[in-house]
Amino acid sequence: MSAILLIVVPLLAAFISILFKKASPYILLIVSFASVIVLGYIELEVITIGGFASPYGINLVFDQYSLIGLYIVNTLFFLVVAINCVKFKEMSTILLIALAGLNGLLLTGDLFNLFVFIEISGIAAYLITATNKNPLATFNYLVAGTVGSSLYLVGLIILYAMFGTLNMADMANEIAVSGVDASLVAFPFLLMFIGLGVEAKLLPFNSWVKGILASSNKLTGPIIASVYAATIGFVVGRLLTSVFVFSDTLGLVITIILLASIIAGEAMAFSSNKVREILLFSSIAQAGLVVLVFLQGFIGWGVFLVVANAAGKFILFTVTNHASDELGTDEVNDLKGLFVNNKIVGLAFTVASLSAIGLPVFLGFVVKMNILGDLFAEGNLFIPAVILITSVVEGIYFVRLLIKLWYKEHDLPVVQYDFIIKYVVVILAILIMVFGVYTAPIETEANDLDLISFVEGGNL
Amino acid sequence: MKNFLALLLTLFLGYMIIASLSNNEAFPKYGEADVSSRVSQRYIDRNVTENPGEVLYGEATNLESGSANTIAAIVTDYRSFDTLGEVTVLTVSALGVALLLGGAKQSRIELNFKPNFMLRVGSRALFGIILMTGMYISIHGHLTPGGGFPGGSMIASSLLLLYLADDEFRANIKGVKVIQSVAGSAYVIAGLLGLFIGTYFLENLLDTAVLGDLFSAGMIPIIYVLIGFKVGSEISRIIDNFLTEESV
Repeated sequence: MSAILLIVVPLLAAFISILFKKASPYILLIVSFASVIVLGYIELEVITIGGFASPYGINLVFDQYSLIGLYIVNTLFFLVVAINCVKFKEMSTILLIALAGLNGLLLTGDLFNLFVFIEISGIAAYLITATNKNPLATFNYLVAGTVGSSLYLVGLIILYAMFGTLNMADMANEIAVSGVDASLVAFPFLLMFIGLGVEAKLLPFNSWVKGILASSNKLTGPIIASVYAATIGFVVGRLLTSVFVFSDTLGLVITIILLASIIAGEAMAFSSNKVREILLFSSIAQAGLVVLVFLQGFIGWGVFLVVANAAGKFILFTVTNHASDELGTDEVNDLKGLFVNNKIVGLAFTVASLSAIGLPVFLGFVVKMNILGDLFAEGNLFIPAVILITSVVEGIYFVRLLIKLWYKEHDLPVVQYDFIIKYVVVILAILIMVFGVYTAPIETEANDLDLISFVEGGNL
Repeated sequence: MKNFLALLLTLFLGYMIIASLSNNEAFPKYGEADVSSRVSQRYIDRNVTENPGEVLYGEATNLESGSANTIAAIVTDYRSFDTLGEVTVLTVSALGVALLLGGAKQSRIELNFKPNFMLRVGSRALFGIILMTGMYISIHGHLTPGGGFPGGSMIASSLLLLYLADDEFRANIKGVKVIQSVAGSAYVIAGLLGLFIGTYFLENLLDTAVLGDLFSAGMIPIIYVLIGFKVGSEISRIIDNFLTEESV
């Protein structure tokens, strides 16, 4: 079986579901479930399309790196769909196209093909966020996203004019062979980085995030903050570690901006009184950290940081947004005592937030610990200091939030969580704890990912 | 103030583009790029998989990509997967318009002029000609400039003409939806046939015949016609959504 089916089958299903409106939620459910199952049966390989070998044709790179990405993204996507497919029937076709786009982003080995998938998944995301019933925010997102992808395209055009190729591996190779100074290619890479930075929620380009996630519902919250964030994390990781060439000065400037992004995100989260805002600012900070880790060249632990964030944010946003959908508010004070009658969901929420802080026994701890260790080993002290200080801030506002959500005597908010939400968040929370204690498999995996270079045919 | 900042930012970006690209040795001057070292040269020579020697119009046979129009060869053969993606972009945009503007029951928006009889009849006559031109351009995409995207837009524009010249006219939206779905699915299925019968997704399975003949280039004209239908139906649906409103 070929990994291209992961893109093509959702696409075919989407085209067919245009005609069968009634059946489309079930088509979506089946296809997204099959995408997860089928991953276990596909061999790792580089896939040529149309019979023209790269760099002349387009290729897909299905290696260890994209496999992990596909597993986490497809699983979380299926869970979002399982929770929401009945409520948002009219979105089924668009969600199918979004799935095709996300899988394409994770698989493609071609820079222009990446742009096409950025457009597909981006437009699908604008439409999905239209269910927030906050048209102005969605419009802002649309403008920001479109300008971002145009900047990516301009950067790519300049690169194509310079090196005459679009394939990622070939591009990296051509740049290395031509021996040009990194400062000469700094500008196109900066444009592409900004373009991706819009979707990745990096500091100056993330003005859309607040409008979208602060009014998000049970569908848009998890899908934007968890599924899309994970995908774009993997894309940025691959480009930063294997394709982009940054000169030292530019690298330093970007590092400082990313640190500012992390600090600003945590500070905003600290000063907010709304649950969804706290979560969205914390995900801005985490996105900055992800890009920073990849920029330092730590592929393996960067990957698991993305995975830990995606799983955690999925739980946090699903639980919060269900409550705020029911109650019509997400003020911390209105949600006080939410977990008194919803202990199981509350426990899962607690696990996810403690893992985000990076407390021991949880997955977040293992990842943060190893990243800090790697940074110290390189003699880098400034970045770990920032990470540690922001973790403390994160700890304060998450614990403050948890205390409010757990303790209240009377006038408790009435929120019923249905069986499927309970089931999903608990399983994810258990996984976060299991891999927080039993760390051997992720450690080997992370080291494997670090060793092998994508340019020499991927981590097959 | 906001506008002024935006102007400054734009000027800064413009300055950055000029400053970073002028006298940049990696960025070739206009007309001085060494084309022979680029991937595009192989597309022109058609020697990505095997060397066919000199490619002559009306003589060369069995090329890896048998389209006389090199753009078509790149768009629907060498990089056909991107084109499938672009078609999807159009689909999801049209779906978005339908999601935001469409509703259960639709009727035409009132135009602020009354089209007269002559306009209605004249536009019907013109409709056929525009439609035929659109079809012609789609079908001959592998020979002449054009292809499915401009051809499909022309097909849609013939419908737009009817919409504007007749305030009662509505296209058969059910039919448009069927075309939209079937043309898109057929493109994907054509790709899957390549994967299951041949080796690669979107592989050109048919004989490419003589370069320059109408029946040549294998799958390319078929795919271009499908794109023409797909683009035409998507844009028609967008037109319909914009010119109708929910009836009370």
